[in-house]
Amino acid sequence: MTDPNSRQLLSRLSDEDFAGREIELSRVRTLARFPHLTAGRDLRSNALLLGAPRVGKTEILRKSFDRFFDEGGEAWPFYYCVSPSCLDPEKFARDYFSQLLVQFVAFRRNDPKLIATADEPFAIINRAAPAEDYLCVRSLVDSFTRAFESGDSTSLMRFALSAPTFAATHAGLQPLVLIDDAHHLKGSLIQAEFIRAFESGGLAKSNPMYALTGLRRVVKDLIPADQEVFDRIEVIQVERMSNDSVERLTRRRAERLGIETGDSTVELLVQQLNCDAFYIRAILNAAASGGTPLKTFIDFERLYTGEVLNGRIGHYLDSMLRDAAPSPREGRALLEGLTLVIDSTSPVPIDVVTERIREHTPNVESLLRRMHEREMLDVGYGFVTASGDPVFLDYVRAKYRREIAGSLRPISGNELIGEKLKDSYRLMMSRYNRGIEAQLVEIISRFDFQSVPAGLFDHVAYDQRYRGLSRVQVRRALDDQQERLRLPQIVLVNDLGADEQPGVNWRLYSATGFEGGIYTEANEVLWLVALINSKEPLDLETLGRIDQRLEAALRGQKAKSGRLSHSVRWYISKEGFSAVASERLGSVYAYRSTYVHLDLIQDYLTRLALGSEARPVSEFELTIPIEDEAELIAARTAEQIARAADFDQEAINQIKTALIEACINAAEHSDTPDKKIHQRFAIDEDKLIITVSNKGKTFGRSNGQTTPASGPEQTKGVRGRGLQIIRALMDEVEFERTDDGARLVMTKYLKRPSSQ
Amino acid sequence: MFAASGCLSAVPGGTLMSAAEIRARLIEDAAVIYPGPYLNQLRGESIENQCQEFLATGVRHIVINFEETELINSIGISILLGVIESVNRAEGALMLSNLNASNRELFEMLGLMSHVEMAETEEIALLRLGSEGARAAI
Repeated sequence: MTDPNSRQLLSRLSDEDFAGREIELSRVRTLARFPHLTAGRDLRSNALLLGAPRVGKTEILRKSFDRFFDEGGEAWPFYYCVSPSCLDPEKFARDYFSQLLVQFVAFRRNDPKLIATADEPFAIINRAAPAEDYLCVRSLVDSFTRAFESGDSTSLMRFALSAPTFAATHAGLQPLVLIDDAHHLKGSLIQAEFIRAFESGGLAKSNPMYALTGLRRVVKDLIPADQEVFDRIEVIQVERMSNDSVERLTRRRAERLGIETGDSTVELLVQQLNCDAFYIRAILNAAASGGTPLKTFIDFERLYTGEVLNGRIGHYLDSMLRDAAPSPREGRALLEGLTLVIDSTSPVPIDVVTERIREHTPNVESLLRRMHEREMLDVGYGFVTASGDPVFLDYVRAKYRREIAGSLRPISGNELIGEKLKDSYRLMMSRYNRGIEAQLVEIISRFDFQSVPAGLFDHVAYDQRYRGLSRVQVRRALDDQQERLRLPQIVLVNDLGADEQPGVNWRLYSATGFEGGIYTEANEVLWLVALINSKEPLDLETLGRIDQRLEAALRGQKAKSGRLSHSVRWYISKEGFSAVASERLGSVYAYRSTYVHLDLIQDYLTRLALGSEARPVSEFELTIPIEDEAELIAARTAEQIARAADFDQEAINQIKTALIEACINAAEHSDTPDKKIHQRFAIDEDKLIITVSNKGKTFGRSNGQTTPASGPEQTKGVRGRGLQIIRALMDEVEFERTDDGARLVMTKYLKRPSSQ
Repeated sequence: MFAASGCLSAVPGGTLMSAAEIRARLIEDAAVIYPGPYLNQLRGESIENQCQEFLATGVRHIVINFEETELINSIGISILLGVIESVNRAEGALMLSNLNASNRELFEMLGLMSHVEMAETEEIALLRLGSEGARAAI
């Protein structure tokens, strides 16, 4: 858990803004704490932190430094950021050594201010050392000076790189060396010596453990292909944070900066900025400094365009471009090459890109490599594809228009705003679609010869059998369904692309696998899957168009493998199918499902995987304002949910009364800043769990008297009897404290006729 | 008939909704109050005001009819207890009627049954109070 008192020394984000990265942080911190035992030897690991640019790798290293520094324990952190201006061996050795000295002294004196004194002469740093370390520091400085005077740059580097071991041995510490921007080492005169030190990391107790990060495509290449070295490397993948966490952090930061936001605008912002924390901070800071609200899409798109063209984001991307292509000719070549790739919807043959770049610079290979390393594009052996960073793509397009195509400078506004506004609706829709698409791919990937109710793949049979039943009732009935469908085992899922027409969009997938449990060509099967999102039931005409695409995919598969696998088609349409379309699909034995079935299939597969103990849960969330009678809305919602879950009227009334008391309690005892009560309803197989939470102090736990009142005088205390009522009406009641408030979790069990 | 706010315009047998949707009617020497669908603080206070006014005009028999009352919260109940006390102090008699099973269970749980009598219907309550109004109502 986050220590609320940890100081912010090297890290740039407060603990609050850093949220969501505790797992990666603890993996780095574990390096210095728990040795990995390999083949009976005490072997510790080094680590590589790999992730996309700006995903937060540096901040994880800096936070690790802060936490270790703050703890002041046996683990001593040394943070070093490789600078391109210090790649000469002497300069590097001097810089590395002086940084190490000041960080050692600062750690030993628990005085972080000293960290900033690395530029001071060694004698001054030495004087700052505590008495017990004075001689050690002095001997280090003397040895360094001697090595420097010897003129042997290799010895000097070796000495600097081994200095953490000397210092740590003297002080009885376990050093952890955190190296940032390690990509600069590649190809430098330092690389070989540094890697030598890295390889010996952790081999002896006092040897430092290293954690390296930087441009991942370069950092990976720094390590030699040696099994023993890789055995001792822990690869920490730093993934992008989820939409939900980023949205939460964004809202919190906006609130702190006093920026007015709209819910959908925040969602759009997070989508359009690809969950990138740097871009999001840039936009929020720009909004705060300009006093601009982010309430509407156009508020955001105006700010975005300004930032990408002339603001912080633009300047940052300018410097990234200059870094990859320092000369104007290379800059031009880079923009030409990037635009060519970005404008193409499919991968571009490398020869075409090379040719375009060569028109402007002879350094084609080196420029392409630099672009690839910085993830501006992906260069494979045969093809080049565009970067997945949508902000970078916008920046490149705008820069190309302005600086190469020579577009007129607009008198007012910008075409980028118009483009982004047109895209915003599509982007918001794609956010929803992506969720469903990810769900579908996950489901298909889990196909593993399970036997599932056939009704889930045939909406007509499903409707005949289950129409009008609640989801919980359907789940129970599915268990009893006799007709089963045996799924294949799927080994590969491919995205066949998306398409749309007014009112409907779809994405197609192919999934290859085996039927029957024997891996032969005869048992190979190809599932062609269409996921269709439309406002109306799917009509015959659209179905025809989707079929054409699936046919083409089938032909492609045949051309590739030289034969035709047994194929199955599965259509999943959000709003179902028109009668004619459904009949047509039925006549060719295609599977036809809706999004509802997708959820049920997922539930069913989860149940099969987890056995009968873990049941899938349906969850609903509701947030009500703290104001007169809002708790009635909560009670009505609970009633609907409890009814769907088959609770009888008596139990429903009890649940409603308990929930009303919980809401009143939450409102009365809360000093919540958002003036809201949050509720979650989870229907499990045999119970309903209601969680009521508020931000603020606590629920009125002290009011939970247990004895009934015995006279009117005492009954004034009924006012505080909310908790007693809740306990009496629900089967289980628990309080939980949260970081920013409290929550009450109430459970009501379903009494089945058999248990009565 | 009466509004909870206290604006009295007694028309025996008639009803009137208040701002907090409390209906009340006066039947001879007895009064019947209808708390509405949800007895919470707001409606509890309206009932309290209404009762005070009845007591001030000499009415001593009061029935609270919960027929329409689907939900009751603890704040509403605590105010109701205050009402019971004031009626007792004024040497009047108060009965509750038409409680559904859940509300009855809630009252039992909180020990209200020892302070106030309950009747199945409004008419039985009026009869038990021995009011003139019962005969008028029946």
